[in-house]
Amino acid sequence: MNDVTLVFLYALATAVATGLGALPFLFVRDLSDRVVALSNAVAAGLMLGASFGLVSEGTVHGRVETVIGAVLGVLFILGTQRILGGQDEEELVFEAATGESARKMLLMMIVMTVHSFSEGVAVGVSFGGGMTLATVITVAIAIHNVPEGVAITAVLRPQGVSVLRCAGWSVFSSLPQPLMAVPAFLFVEAFRPALPYGLGFAAGAMVFMVLVELLPDAFEQGRRSSVATVTTLSVVAMVLFQQWL
Amino acid sequence: MPSSSDSAWGTSSEQDPDHTGWPASAFAGIIPGMTTAPVFDVFLYSALAALAAAVGVLPRALGLRPGPTTYGWSNAVAAGLMFGVAYVLMTLGLEGGLLAGGVGAILGVIVVRGTHAVTGSGELDLMNPTGAHSALGRRAVVSDLLHGAHEGLAIAVAMTLSLPLGITVAAALAVHNVPEAMILTRVLDAGGVSRRRILPLVVASNVAQPLLAVTGFVALRELPAAIPVVTGFAVATLLYLVLEELLPESYRQAGHTSIAVVTALAMGVVVLLAGVS
Repeated sequence: MNDVTLVFLYALATAVATGLGALPFLFVRDLSDRVVALSNAVAAGLMLGASFGLVSEGTVHGRVETVIGAVLGVLFILGTQRILGGQDEEELVFEAATGESARKMLLMMIVMTVHSFSEGVAVGVSFGGGMTLATVITVAIAIHNVPEGVAITAVLRPQGVSVLRCAGWSVFSSLPQPLMAVPAFLFVEAFRPALPYGLGFAAGAMVFMVLVELLPDAFEQGRRSSVATVTTLSVVAMVLFQQWL
Repeated sequence: MPSSSDSAWGTSSEQDPDHTGWPASAFAGIIPGMTTAPVFDVFLYSALAALAAAVGVLPRALGLRPGPTTYGWSNAVAAGLMFGVAYVLMTLGLEGGLLAGGVGAILGVIVVRGTHAVTGSGELDLMNPTGAHSALGRRAVVSDLLHGAHEGLAIAVAMTLSLPLGITVAAALAVHNVPEAMILTRVLDAGGVSRRRILPLVVASNVAQPLLAVTGFVALRELPAAIPVVTGFAVATLLYLVLEELLPESYRQAGHTSIAVVTALAMGVVVLLAGVS
C-alpha cells in the first residue's frame, strides 16, 4: 500500500472515531431543560478547550497569523449566521427540526466541519515528518476527535436527533480530515505556511460559536452555577486530555 | 493537536541567562544599576493591577452614567481577558503534572462555589439588584475581595513561570479590574455610600490581589512541585467566575452577538500580548 493511500485511510479512521462521541448519549434518557443546558455547557467547554489547543499549536507556527486566522473565523461565523438568519423559517430544515432549532444545529455542523479542514491539514503536515510516527499520530488524533463527537451530539441529541444519526453527523463533520490530509501530505511545503491561519480560523470559529450560541442557550435553560461548573471542568478536562495525548 | 512543550511561551535566554524564568531585575535595562528582588516585582505589578480599579471610579466621579451596553461590553472585555489568562496559564503551568492540574481544578471549583455559598455572593446580579442596596453593596465588596484572591493566585502562578508572563497576566487583570470597579461603584453609590468613601472601598476590595500574588509566589518558589496543582486551581476559579458572573450579566446587558465579538477580541489581545512579552 502506498503512502498516500495509508495517509487517507489513517485520516479516515480518525474521522470515524468522532462517531464514538455519540455513545455516552445512549445512557442519557432524560432530555429536560436542565439536561439540555448541561449538554450545551459540556459542548461549550470541550470546544473552548479544543480551541485553546488549536491556538497553542498555531502560535508555534506564527502568533500573528494565528490571531488573523481567528479573526477570519469569527467573521466567517458572523457571515454564516447572517445568511442563515435571512432564510425563511419554513425553508430552514435540519433533520426533523425547522426554524431556530435547525439554524443552531446547522451552525454547529458548519463550525465543526469547517474546523476539520484545518485539522486535516495539520494531520497531513505532521505525516510529512515521516511515516514511522504515522500510527502514533493517528491514534492520538482519533482519540482527540471523540470529545468533538460528544460536543456535536450534545447539541443535536437534545433536538431529538437519534444517537445513531448523531454518530453519523459526527463522522461527517470529520470527513474533511482525510480529504485535506492527502494534499497536505503531498505538498507539505505549500501547506505549512497556511497552517497557523487555518488553526486560528478553526479556533476563532469554535470560540465564537461557544460565545454566541452555546453559552447563552445554556444560561437560559440552566442555573448559572451548574453551567459554570460543567463548562469549567469540561474546558480543563479537554486541555489536560490534549496535553496528555 | 496541541504541543505545549514546544509552545512559543516563556522567556528568551537573553532575558534569562540562568534559565530561572527571571531576569536579574524588572528594572534592569530601564534604570541602569538598579536591581530589585523578584518578590518586590511581584508586589509592584500586582499592586498596580489592584490600583487600576481606581480608574473604574472615574466615570461616576465625573457625573457620567454609563448605560447597560457599556457595562455589558466592559464585562465582556474582562471576561475575554480572563479567558486569555486561563489559556496562557494552562499552556505552560500544567506541564509535568496533568493529574495534579485536574485535582487543582476540581478543588478550585469546590472552593469558589463554597465561598459563594458561605458569603452569599454567588449568582449576584449587580445590574438588576433585588433587596436592600446597602446589603447588596456589602455582598459586592465581599465578592470582589474573593475575586481578587483568585486573581492574585493567577498572578503568582504566572510570575513563578516567568516575569514577562506575570506582567502580561497582571496587565490583563488590571484592565479587567476597571469594569469590575465601575460596577462596584454603581452599587455602592446606589446604596448611599458617600463619594469620599467609594474610592478607598473600591481599591481596598482588591487588596487580596497583591497579598495572594506575593504569598503565592513565595510559596511556589519554595515548592515548585505545586505549580501544576495551583495552576489548575487558579485556572478553574478564573473560568468559573467568568462563566458564573461576567458572561451571564453581560449577555443581558448588551445582547449575545456584540458580547461574543468583544470577548473573542479580548482573548485575541491576550494571545498577542503574550507573544510580545
